[in-house]
Amino acid sequence: MSTTIAAAAPVRPQLRWGVAGYAVLVVAAIAVAIMAPKTGYVLNISLQATTYAVAVLGLTVVLGLCGQINLAQAAFFGLGAYAVGIGQTSWGLNFWVCLVLGMGLAALFGAVLGASTLRLGGHYLAMVTISFQQILTLVLINWIPVTRGPDGVPSIPRPAMFTDGSSYLALCIAVLAFAGYLVWRLRDTRLGRAMRAVRDNELAAGVAGIDVYRTKVTAFAISSILGGLGGGLFAGGFAYVSPDQFSFAESIVFLTMTLLGGVSSPIGAAIGTGLLILIPEWLRFLKSVPGLYLAIYGAAVVLIVLFMPDGIWGFVRGHLDRFKRAAPIITSTAALQLAGGGAGTETVLEVRRLSKHFGGLKAVDEVDFVVRRGGVHALIGPNGSGKTTTLNVLSGLYRATGGKIFLDGRDVTGLPPHARTVAGLGRTFQNIRLWKSMTALENVTVGAERPGSSVSDADAVLARARAALAFVGLEARADEVVAGFSYGHQRAVEIARALAGDPALLLLDEPGAGLNSSEKVELRDLLRRISARGLTIMIIDHDMTLVTEVAQHITVLNFGRRIADGTAADVLAHPDVVAAYLGAPDAAA
Amino acid sequence: MDLALQLLFTGIGIGSVYALVALGFVLIFRATNVVNFAQGEFSMVAAFLMIVFSVKLELPYWLAFLISLGGMALLGALFNLAVYYPLRHRTYLPVIISTIGASIFIANTVLAIHGPEPEVMSGWFETPGFLVGPVYLDSQYLLIIAVTAALVALQYWFFEHTLLGKKLQATSQDKEMAALLGIPVAAMIMITFVYSAVIGGIAGILVAPVLFVSISMGSTIALKAFAATIIGGFGDVTGAIIGGLALGVIETFGAAYISVPYKDGFAFLVLVLFLVFRPQGIFGERVAEKA
Amino acid sequence: MPLLELRDLSVLYGGVEAVRGVSLKVEAGEVVTLLGSNGAGKSTTLRAISGLVKPASGDILFDGRSIAAERPESIVRRGIAHVPEGRRVFPGLSVRENIMLGASNRTGLSKSQIAAEADEMFDLFPDIRRFAGSLGWTLSGGQQQMVAVARGLMAKPRLLLLDEPSLGLAPVIVQAVFAIVAEIRRRGTTVLLVEQNARMGLSVADRGYVLETGRLVLSGSPAELWSNEEIRAAYLGGRTAA
Repeated sequence: MSTTIAAAAPVRPQLRWGVAGYAVLVVAAIAVAIMAPKTGYVLNISLQATTYAVAVLGLTVVLGLCGQINLAQAAFFGLGAYAVGIGQTSWGLNFWVCLVLGMGLAALFGAVLGASTLRLGGHYLAMVTISFQQILTLVLINWIPVTRGPDGVPSIPRPAMFTDGSSYLALCIAVLAFAGYLVWRLRDTRLGRAMRAVRDNELAAGVAGIDVYRTKVTAFAISSILGGLGGGLFAGGFAYVSPDQFSFAESIVFLTMTLLGGVSSPIGAAIGTGLLILIPEWLRFLKSVPGLYLAIYGAAVVLIVLFMPDGIWGFVRGHLDRFKRAAPIITSTAALQLAGGGAGTETVLEVRRLSKHFGGLKAVDEVDFVVRRGGVHALIGPNGSGKTTTLNVLSGLYRATGGKIFLDGRDVTGLPPHARTVAGLGRTFQNIRLWKSMTALENVTVGAERPGSSVSDADAVLARARAALAFVGLEARADEVVAGFSYGHQRAVEIARALAGDPALLLLDEPGAGLNSSEKVELRDLLRRISARGLTIMIIDHDMTLVTEVAQHITVLNFGRRIADGTAADVLAHPDVVAAYLGAPDAAA
Repeated sequence: MDLALQLLFTGIGIGSVYALVALGFVLIFRATNVVNFAQGEFSMVAAFLMIVFSVKLELPYWLAFLISLGGMALLGALFNLAVYYPLRHRTYLPVIISTIGASIFIANTVLAIHGPEPEVMSGWFETPGFLVGPVYLDSQYLLIIAVTAALVALQYWFFEHTLLGKKLQATSQDKEMAALLGIPVAAMIMITFVYSAVIGGIAGILVAPVLFVSISMGSTIALKAFAATIIGGFGDVTGAIIGGLALGVIETFGAAYISVPYKDGFAFLVLVLFLVFRPQGIFGERVAEKA
Repeated sequence: MPLLELRDLSVLYGGVEAVRGVSLKVEAGEVVTLLGSNGAGKSTTLRAISGLVKPASGDILFDGRSIAAERPESIVRRGIAHVPEGRRVFPGLSVRENIMLGASNRTGLSKSQIAAEADEMFDLFPDIRRFAGSLGWTLSGGQQQMVAVARGLMAKPRLLLLDEPSLGLAPVIVQAVFAIVAEIRRRGTTVLLVEQNARMGLSVADRGYVLETGRLVLSGSPAELWSNEEIRAAYLGGRTAA
């Protein structure tokens, strides 16, 4: 494995230049903030833009990376601002302590809101965040002994060394730059990939071993913390906070900023914030009519969703990408290790009296079978016989109505999908479920990051992902986004993703569906190569030619029941099986 | 005890309004699988239309009422065409963002045209109310309860006993199959939006004499109605009604016995409690996970 | 003139060319069976005929007129009813309501007329009469299939598309379903049947076609097809993939 690490480890030169360029830009911005002469008006605009941008970065994480909505960013912003305001003026705490308290408060509320809602659909999250926003406004106005009510908190001091406007602005820019850098890099960390996987396809994320719920709550908490941070800085910048600055309308302003700039990138956050701070200043007359500029924001949200879903930066980047040079192909020389097949007892999977009912329909009815270690086990049956339902119960997408499932001797019947993956289950889907906006390598890397896999350090994970892509013959397309792949190649990436996790058992749900005959030959050879490395495969497929060529053992289902089980040759000669496939002889007219 | 009865009456009255708006939520949700975040704005716009036609232009009540509802039907149709229909093949996230944007747009357009001052609308009756034993029955609340009961009965009849109602239900359950049977799916969705806008409008007009007619009344009512929907269980009409009534009563008692300024917070509290302990609502889902 | 004619039909489904240059004819009064293993493109062919997916190329003629560009709602009004794979009974409506909605393509009928026709359907499907008031999702697979076929017949179609009526059903139920197909044919409705169960599918057919990975590979009378080794191979494997 060491040779691959050497090939994959060096930091991409592009990235190094990017970091250097970014640092230069930030230093220049700070220098301008300190040295350039400016009016109070320009200072205020700049302070507002930088502090808002920090909060918008939070939305980039939760909405852009993780695909979850947050309509209370102004509330989290307000929590940070009031912490800095009240903490310093009422309780005499230090600015920095208050800032951290505010972020902690925002994180706490964010985590609680997220934890109570994120198991449910996105609608609930939207409504609950709106509610939280309304409640916070009520509390800020009515809890007068603490919040000082509608009058707000005046005379909020700035920290020592940053008391004048220029240096405080420089501080804000530095914080924004740091937060922006973290969000930019977050995208390509394990957590960032998990968030994007959750956004693109939740089901596949769970089956790849990602704890979907925890990932969402984490994203929500990060977003809240950034909201609190931005709010804390805002309070110091303007020395005065009041409830109306953190109303629902401001949450919508944050949302519009995020969408306008481009939801998936920190650059988009900066563009959106900058524009929406400046445009109302240029068009001051709009503010003379109450409601007019918010009406325009509302219309802008609808129009952006309809016509420019990737925002300004997404639009621009789409055009820039055409000029991008192709990255050098890094080839993997190491062979893919499939250790999961080696160890353990003779039985990988045992299914006892497994049932799944839907209303009056017994889709799976007390099915028993055992998958032995090594080799290929096929589960076949006519359409509608309950094969895919069985697979979905095995991988935890459906809850079993009755019966038990043992993986490597461990009862996994009650576990959620991601925990079964951690326990050693890998699977693919009949209708391919890749994360469409991610590259082939990113898709497979998430697979390689399976908790419970033998490989854990980042370089080894990347090496393993490349090896898995190479194993299916796609290393040359590692850095391409999979949405553009042919059906056959998408199928291969999905298998590579499962292989990269080094599972004890690989479940393949109709891998041959939709492939033409030459692709099917490739698939057959691939399955044989996987099997030769000792990984146990359980396959569902309708192509009996494929099944007979790869499987040693076959279980046949019909009407949700097991009608035959044994070696391939025996099972295919079984009269019940012939009848199930071709129709019962006595039924023919 | 007397106070409790009085509060119960008021709570059911205000709860009826939440129930009506919740009905709009549920109908659109069932037809499109999307929560319409602008549902509350339908109530707000209708109340303002009523102010314009009845108070400003001094038309007779019934005429102003009919014109306002006509306006709501038009708004519902436009809303469908501009906000939902172009996005019908996208995932739920763009659609809800779009309805939120539309909600902001509608509320602030009214604000820009009308200005921020709330309006007062007088009740529909000469007699403001009467005493029955210890309980004072406000005639406007009586009207709200009566109209809600009548609308619920009408809607029940419509969905259970007319073919059009059945076609709407079929469309909400399986659009592709509905199209295969020759049911015009696009028209069914249009009817749903128009009907939801009208029913939301009726709620807004009914509640106008009780609350102030203000720009923010839409979002307040929508929040309560959404909480009602969760209490009752999404996708269930009966649940929405019971949830709405329950919320109205809880809120009225909360305001009387606990705190007036935080009256609007009780809905949120109940919402969170239900989300944590019983997210499927009182009635749960009637249809199994897979048929 | 054939009632239905497919001319060099190709259909993309999920990025895959699921149907590749298929040409076939169905004459009025016939029962024609389309055989093939799963993924061969049978269902996609039916979905193209009823307008659920648009052809990538080729044409679909009904009564000599192209319907390839029409929407499902207008195609069913022309007289093609599609009973899709998986039955798709409306889960939250009663059996009677499901069946009554089958007449949605016919105009000018009162609700009571439709109700009367739905009651007649229970004569053809006596097994589901006692479930008339039950919600769709509470039914077993076989009962749902009966409801789906009855609903399709309520359209008074000239051509009935039946997609895998035997899917997931026990043999005795499959026989009952096919007895109904024979009865439908006796009453003069043309049927295009998609089946995986080759023996059952051919037992009621006048002619059959065999699809393999989107292409027509065989056609002929049931007897010719049944004796052909290719069919056996297509279903149970045994040929080398190449």
